[in-house]
Amino acid sequence: MRLRAAVFLILGGLGTWGILHAQKPFISYESTEEHAEAALPPDWERDAEWTRGRLKYTSSTFEHPLPNNTGRYGWRTDYPLGDRHTLQGLLRLTRVDAKSVEQVVELDNSSDIYNWPFVYGVEVGHWSLNDEEADQMRDYLLRGGFFMTDDFHGTQEWDVFMEGMRKVFPRRPVTDIDNKDEIFHVLYDIDQRSRIPGAQFIYSGIPWEFDGFEPKFRGIYDDKGRIMVGICHNVDMGDAIEWSDDPRYPENYASLAYRVSANYVMYDLTH
Amino acid sequence: MFEFLFKYPLSIYRQGTFIFLAGWPLWLMGLGVLAAAGVLGFLIWRQSSGSTRMGVARRSSVWILQTALAALLLFLLWHPALSVSALKPQQNIVAVVIDDSTSMTTNDENSTRKEAAEKVLNGGLLKALQERFQVRLYKMSDHAERIDKLEQLTAGATATHIGETLKQVAADASSLPIGAMILLSDGADNTGGVDLETLSEIRRQRIPVHTIGLGRETMSHDIEISNVDVAARALPESRLGATVSFHQHGYTGQKAKITLKEGSKVVVSQDVTLKAEGTEQVETVLFNAGDAGVKTIEAAIEPFPNEENLRNNRVTRLVNVDPRKPRILYLEGEPRWEFKFLKRAVEDDKTLDVATILRTAPNKLYRQGVCRPGDTAHPQVNGKCNEMEDGFPSKIEDLFAFDGLIFGSVDAPYLTKNQQDMIKQFVDRRGGGVLFLGGKDSLSDGGWAKSAAADILPTTLPERKNTYSFVGADVELTPAGQDSLITRIEEDPAKNVERWKKLPYIRTFQDPGDPKLGAVVLANFIPHEGGGVKRPLLVTMNYGRGRSAIFATGGSWRWQMLQPLADMSHEMFYRQLLRWVVSDTPRHITGSTPKSLLADESHVKLRAEVRDKTYLPASDAIVEAHITGEGTQQETVNMIPEPLEQGVYGADWTAPQAGSYIVEVVAKRGAEEIGRDTFTFRREDGIAENFHVEQNRELLEKLSSETGGSYYKPADAQKLGKDINYSQAGITVRETRDLWDMPAIFLLFLGIRAAEWLLRRRWGVI
Repeated sequence: MRLRAAVFLILGGLGTWGILHAQKPFISYESTEEHAEAALPPDWERDAEWTRGRLKYTSSTFEHPLPNNTGRYGWRTDYPLGDRHTLQGLLRLTRVDAKSVEQVVELDNSSDIYNWPFVYGVEVGHWSLNDEEADQMRDYLLRGGFFMTDDFHGTQEWDVFMEGMRKVFPRRPVTDIDNKDEIFHVLYDIDQRSRIPGAQFIYSGIPWEFDGFEPKFRGIYDDKGRIMVGICHNVDMGDAIEWSDDPRYPENYASLAYRVSANYVMYDLTH
Repeated sequence: MFEFLFKYPLSIYRQGTFIFLAGWPLWLMGLGVLAAAGVLGFLIWRQSSGSTRMGVARRSSVWILQTALAALLLFLLWHPALSVSALKPQQNIVAVVIDDSTSMTTNDENSTRKEAAEKVLNGGLLKALQERFQVRLYKMSDHAERIDKLEQLTAGATATHIGETLKQVAADASSLPIGAMILLSDGADNTGGVDLETLSEIRRQRIPVHTIGLGRETMSHDIEISNVDVAARALPESRLGATVSFHQHGYTGQKAKITLKEGSKVVVSQDVTLKAEGTEQVETVLFNAGDAGVKTIEAAIEPFPNEENLRNNRVTRLVNVDPRKPRILYLEGEPRWEFKFLKRAVEDDKTLDVATILRTAPNKLYRQGVCRPGDTAHPQVNGKCNEMEDGFPSKIEDLFAFDGLIFGSVDAPYLTKNQQDMIKQFVDRRGGGVLFLGGKDSLSDGGWAKSAAADILPTTLPERKNTYSFVGADVELTPAGQDSLITRIEEDPAKNVERWKKLPYIRTFQDPGDPKLGAVVLANFIPHEGGGVKRPLLVTMNYGRGRSAIFATGGSWRWQMLQPLADMSHEMFYRQLLRWVVSDTPRHITGSTPKSLLADESHVKLRAEVRDKTYLPASDAIVEAHITGEGTQQETVNMIPEPLEQGVYGADWTAPQAGSYIVEVVAKRGAEEIGRDTFTFRREDGIAENFHVEQNRELLEKLSSETGGSYYKPADAQKLGKDINYSQAGITVRETRDLWDMPAIFLLFLGIRAAEWLLRRRWGVI
């Protein structure tokens, strides 16, 4: 059923692609989550001013298994509910005219990614970028794109992430974002930022993964002092938002995740 | 030929009055003609009644001819004559005015114009005049000066003011019997012509002005710059266009180089192909205004090797590059990419100061660019900024502190009616600029058609909603857009058109409706769907003292994201658009002068327009102009209110010497200063005569015909010795000149008889 729906959507999307030229149509991929099935929202076809891109990348070592073990895709972590809930949150809490579905984008050397100036990348502790992909990522960011990363934990995953990021920006420093930075105040004042654990917290009660004990909000800045890569390390906002409607998941973590996500979007749109 | 046929020159007929000397009443002549017609008709009818060859038409023809002959005879019987006023010999003065300006040194046909004038006068004309009249010699420059002999001519005057000269000579006529004036000149007047007042005065005194035109009417090899138009004021680093008008003779089809220089530095040069000879050609050359300060820009066309006049190839203009930093308020209704990328596009433009208010959440605003360092009106207090913390200004003086406004996706009902009305006043009264962007809450969809600010919009918004679309659209410049500096992202106009065609499509568009009268559409969008019907994308309009524009999209950010990093199209476009929005926004006081360059003249009219805090005209201010020139002491001049213009003040001043002058105008109300403004002008001497060196025959002919005189070429000037006798000015006597013995009458007589004979022969009745 899901496969048929996906094929139908792919064909329908490609049919309109010719009209939209370089902008690829919406494609719904299979989820790797064991969570409840995420039906398309009734207004998924509504055009909107803002769309969140989700980066599809090649995994390095780790991939989430599919329910039927047919493959492992790290980029699909929390997909699509994490995206859909985030977008619902934006629509509810802000005046961002957000599309109710995400747009999966790739660093495929086409011009498509440039149509989506905000891209979210999850589980980037298991990503890999080749040189062409890194070049395009760099170009995308310097033209004005924003890349938000999430859900990677501990030292090892950090190293894997930075291995890719250093291909993009070999020399730009990665710095802790100061509390006073506008990214923490543009919409909500988020001076106090606790951990935001993943859904595993429901079962384990442990609010961190691996050796990622302290949440880190770091950034790579452009020449004008604007954050263009918002790195959220040792937190799992994707899970927090995906599971925000599950009563087992603590509300305070979910709320913080919504607020941080909204702030990051708002920061990008105002800087 | 005229004189041969009609016995006297045309000038006498112009001056004279037609009369009959017989003394019989004219009705008797009419009666005589009727009687002759009747008798002739009866005789012709009786004689020809039996002839088959003389039908009605033929008889009528003969009758008409014979009646005409009878009428002619009666006409002669009444003794026609011309009554003319003639100057009494030795009792009148003839003023001979000779052009003494430097244009008279121009060489035409192996002699200068001065030499040609002397040749005409010494060739018999002066002698002929002196035999019958007293002759007063004058030399003409910007005024008339009496001379005793021709040797006092120097051809060194730097200006020619024909009107002023003739006015002076005519003033002499009020106390002297000046019967006529003779003007020997090339007509190269520097004031643009003879004013009506002077002509009326000369006509009132009935003094005919006979003109002798000197010099060639067209040069054979010359390029002359007629005018250079460039903005008198500009913002730093803005792109300006200098419109250079010129005409040429002898170089059609060749390439010429137009150069703009500032001092000795060449700012820009451009090659142009010369069009048809004699036609006015206009080329626009773009250049950067540079940093703040007064710029003396010289526009020049590189001379050709055999050019006859090299002094008319360069013109100077002043541009005051104002160091002010206009402030723009951008109100955006929703966080979106167009907002982000518009701000980024202009952030590096040091001349623009953009403050933004963004509606981030239903009850939240996010302000940027407020409480700037050094802004004493809005200081930060304990790290908090209260400038516009309640949102869009609701007091008029707060809104009028800005020079321009931008409205993003903001619906009109978000603003109160008072605020909407303030926006209208911002444009109309304040003179500010407003830009509306497309968006889901903009224009029609945002209820602006029924808002108090609808009048300022450059289009008539559609009545329907759902005018905002997410279908992609390509963009195309209109002919007006091809010329506009707003849309010039490439220097070369042709390349610019192609560049626009290659821009990435815009992601959204909004139907703004049809442009209003006076609005200019600079670009259209062509949707990818729906038949591709073109609709206006970028529309501008002047309204009141200000201006407004619509850029009917929220999707131009793709010009940034979908083009290489080094491409600056998006930045250039928005910078130029926002500069247009604010560069002409006036301040509380605006000083100006009609001419920023005084060419061989010293009088300058200063003007100041003064508005109070809410930009209403301030008629009760004390206004002073402080004038500083190169090497001169500062002078202060009081400016007085102009009677017919509220809030406008004027003063006359004389620039004592050549050079640049800076004028600072200060307006006060009591102890409070309303504002100040600085502008510049420049006096240059010795340049006026370099231009319009060809003989201005049109001016000379008009001058003579308007005053009852005649125009002569030098070769015919000796006739003036006789023609000048006839005038209604000075001491005159009425003379009668017979007309009955004109050769024309004899020829007419012969002609009528010959015509009748020829017709009869043709009909076979002879």
